[in-house]
Amino acid sequence: MKFLTTNFVRCAVKSCAASSDSFPLVFSECQLVQQEQDFDAEFLTSMLDRLDWPALIKVAADLGNNSIPQVKPENIDPEDPESERILRDLHSLLLETQITEGKMICNHCQHVYYIKNSVANFLLPPHLAN
Amino acid sequence: MLETPIIPSADYSKVYEPAEDSYLLLDLFEQIRCELSSKRYAHSVPLVVEIGTGSGVVTAFLNKNILPKALYLATDVNPHSCVIAARTNSHNATSYNMDVIRCDLTSPLLTEKVDILIFNPPYVPAEKVPEIPKDDKDPRWLDLALDGGPTGMDITQRVLDSLHTILALKGEAYILFCARNQPDKVVEDFKKKSPGKWDVTMEIRRKAGWEMLSVYKFVRLCE
Repeated sequence: MKFLTTNFVRCAVKSCAASSDSFPLVFSECQLVQQEQDFDAEFLTSMLDRLDWPALIKVAADLGNNSIPQVKPENIDPEDPESERILRDLHSLLLETQITEGKMICNHCQHVYYIKNSVANFLLPPHLAN
Repeated sequence: MLETPIIPSADYSKVYEPAEDSYLLLDLFEQIRCELSSKRYAHSVPLVVEIGTGSGVVTAFLNKNILPKALYLATDVNPHSCVIAARTNSHNATSYNMDVIRCDLTSPLLTEKVDILIFNPPYVPAEKVPEIPKDDKDPRWLDLALDGGPTGMDITQRVLDSLHTILALKGEAYILFCARNQPDKVVEDFKKKSPGKWDVTMEIRRKAGWEMLSVYKFVRLCE
């Protein structure tokens, strides 16, 4: 699972949907691999407005990265070198960081989901299925 | 005519092999390519979600040919599909903007984020929807891609019932039906439940063997 995807998924248990504790999930015991990807400045710039920045900071911290700026970068101009540096960092974090193994835990119901061989598994056992 | 994605070394005893239904979706997206690529969604990078992606052929086709600047998230319950769909995508299109997760329909997705939803459901009428196998090696994973309960609507109906929580405003869903699903009646019932909130149109229809397949577009107009 790409780091970016953590910004779009919450606990799959229906009764957790309304709780703000079900997003983002808490990531623990994760193994990461950097997987080289094409750099697309335009895509990243447009992607910024979709991102939940506080969730991104939280998950990055779970994964041991505390260097994310506290505020979402604004006025990004892909031509500007400083902006490009920010975009390259985001590219590396969001699109190149693969979580290959690990756990995702819901802070509301404490259910644990697993990531194995890079695939995050959100299937629920029958007693929790919706 | 746009190229059909190549599916590298898939084992079709484990994952649904693209067939007339898959190709109907590809043909539809080719037909409406200009409309899709010129449309403005709620976000400048649209989130495209395919439920039950199988071999990943539809997502790879869209990523390669129709909306190369979108963000793709494909889902499947079948563990084999999750691996194969990612491989199909990276073999044919860019992989930085695509990911696969294993889940039931869209259950872990944040609500009202999806701009384009695609679903080629298990639409075949069958006594019941199969249970999810417990073991990856179980030969019955394929049945999940086909059997949809007595009228073939069990799974599709679940998606329709939660469509307003899946789609962003102005978001649209492309859902495939066979004639035995009675899509006209399904759509009529769907619109009755929330009058004025949806625009539903049949986009394409084709006879495939003894089946009549169609794809309907559901556009979410307002809250």
